[in-house]
Amino acid sequence: MSHPAAAVLESALRARKLDRTLTTALQPGKGDGLVAPTGATALDAVLHGGLPRGELSEVAGAPSSGRTTLLLQVMAAATHRGEIAALVDTFDRLDLGSIVAAGIDLDRLLWIRGEASSPPDRAIERALKALNLVLQSGGFGVAAIDLADAPSSALSRLPFTTWMRVQRTIEGSETACLIVGPHPIARSAGGVTLSLGGASRWAGDADRSRRIAGLDVTVRVVSPRRRVEGEVAVAAEFA
Amino acid sequence: MFGALYASEGSSTDALVGVAAEFSPRYEVTGPRDVTLDLSGLARLFGSARAIADELQRTAAERGLAVRVAIAGTTTAARLLARGSHHAITVIDPGGEPEALASLPLALLANVTNEHSNVPNVPNDPNVPNDPNVPNDPNVPNDPNGSNELATFRKWGLRTLGDIARLPPDAVAARLGQPGVQLQRLAHGEDLRPLRPAVPEERFERALDLEWPIDGLEPLSFVLGRLMEPLAAHLDRRGRGAAVLHVRLHLVTRAVHERALQLPAPIKDARTLRTLALLDLESHPPAAAIDRVVVAVDPTPARVLQFSLLTRPLPSPEQISTLMARLSALMGEGRCGSPVAVDTWQPGAFAMKPFAPSQPPSPGLRTAAPPHRCAVALRRFRIPVPARVRVEQGRPIRVITDRRGLAGSVGTNSGTGSVARCAGPWRTAGNWWTKGTWERDEWDVTLSDGATYCVFRDRGTDAWFLEGVVD
Repeated sequence: MSHPAAAVLESALRARKLDRTLTTALQPGKGDGLVAPTGATALDAVLHGGLPRGELSEVAGAPSSGRTTLLLQVMAAATHRGEIAALVDTFDRLDLGSIVAAGIDLDRLLWIRGEASSPPDRAIERALKALNLVLQSGGFGVAAIDLADAPSSALSRLPFTTWMRVQRTIEGSETACLIVGPHPIARSAGGVTLSLGGASRWAGDADRSRRIAGLDVTVRVVSPRRRVEGEVAVAAEFA
Repeated sequence: MFGALYASEGSSTDALVGVAAEFSPRYEVTGPRDVTLDLSGLARLFGSARAIADELQRTAAERGLAVRVAIAGTTTAARLLARGSHHAITVIDPGGEPEALASLPLALLANVTNEHSNVPNVPNDPNVPNDPNVPNDPNVPNDPNGSNELATFRKWGLRTLGDIARLPPDAVAARLGQPGVQLQRLAHGEDLRPLRPAVPEERFERALDLEWPIDGLEPLSFVLGRLMEPLAAHLDRRGRGAAVLHVRLHLVTRAVHERALQLPAPIKDARTLRTLALLDLESHPPAAAIDRVVVAVDPTPARVLQFSLLTRPLPSPEQISTLMARLSALMGEGRCGSPVAVDTWQPGAFAMKPFAPSQPPSPGLRTAAPPHRCAVALRRFRIPVPARVRVEQGRPIRVITDRRGLAGSVGTNSGTGSVARCAGPWRTAGNWWTKGTWERDEWDVTLSDGATYCVFRDRGTDAWFLEGVVD
């Protein structure tokens, strides 16, 4: 495992296109500096430390599968490490109570709110432009785009080069880019895809005492290139 | 050789400073009616010290100021004499300060001690309340305890500066310590610190008159670039950064289109300043062609930042400012920034503030990670989605909306909207004392397709809405 300072230095050299001065390149997926831990211990163990930096990763799943919960968890872990995080909220769905409950440092979160009332195609186009601006600016530990409520038809109309361009933008940077969607969209070779399935956990049998206690999330990790594959259960509680 | 000007009550400080600046670049404003100036070298121009004093008074009179002028070998003696002397002009040869000051009242020290941080503040002498030579300076705070060295001198029966000067220094030091000794040095006319010359305020402004009016932002970017570069170089030379950027565009219609950008951090990079100005003008374009461009900045001390090898540096304020300006232009004003919690129980309430992260603490100072706790998140519909809810025995059994992709929506595979489990109601209400009142019964429902929603019934209209989906 490399020293974090060495990883930071190497990453800075890469950002300035000076990585050829390095005599050895670190193996992808190894070392603390090249991954962004998600904050979920079991998931980080399967991911060999966390989400790969400089790569495009995905969180995909149906409603109530825990996509937003996992996204906020990743951002909370990033802001707690002192990094800054950006979220392009395409349809303006983020809930402040959930952000606070997740433990995100609000001062380190850049929240870019789309228009909920915009036509989906237009909202997605603007959100992608905003994501590109954030990635080009650099310096973010985690940058995410929330497309969970985007209609499949609108997503399928996106040019296939869209995600390649995003991938090229963050290549060599320290940013872990994350797409949250209803199903895998980018299918990036370098990143990981987290397919989520979730079920609400209820407590109490009687009508009056019944309450929703949390969410049991099953995360299936797929990344053939990185050779990380597995399934892990993450339990989320209500704040 | 130093001079001091003491103006009569009601005189303008600016006029007094103007008189001083006409004689010497090294002057210090020591009070609202009190200016001290370094007269070294002026003897070659005017002759004797008396001639300099005459010329100072004549210049002041031309500007409508009645001043008393004192010239001495030290600034302290000059100031004390200008305030305390009965003569319009007092000139003391170097070395003669103690004798000249000996007859002046003790209370005059109050007006000079507040300029010296090591000497305690001294209240004005209550025994000389209306002496025109001893003006009460409102800037001199009274010692709340009254137990200061000057009060002690008064208790000892001393009334003049000469009385203090004649005391044995060792005895003063033994009884009053260093502050007493410093007061005695002032009474001798000695300076406790050198003159601090006032630095005239510099204007950071550039203007360009155009031979032909320009229309559109592209040609304007070249003009702004030409103006910003010398401005940024000027800021750099002075160790300053721009706190506020002002862009004034004089239009052919004789109107002035003025924009002011508050910058989150001192910036002195010409390209960043130009980009920020252009992005702002994209959102607020001028109404007509431009024939004069003026760029000015409010300067502030530049940033000094120590980076670390062990922590990831944040983007610079220049980068963040540019990013925020671009994002605001793309997404709209107020749609980008950091969220802020607001003091209300209203569901979904929040505020936004500019994104301005601080540098992270070094790894050694960072607090330990809190124990891992994954909190369930809600995806909130900013505008609640109307729903049709069938209720039996007081509990919802079916939830249907017309919004595609949501609970029980028609034409999707989201199921029929039948409720598998539900919990509630939780009654909330608030803001009944204002117009934005809410009163609702909230339910958590899990539908047959596994999706869990927060729904509520508005008690005012009896209508049902989806508030969000648990995700």
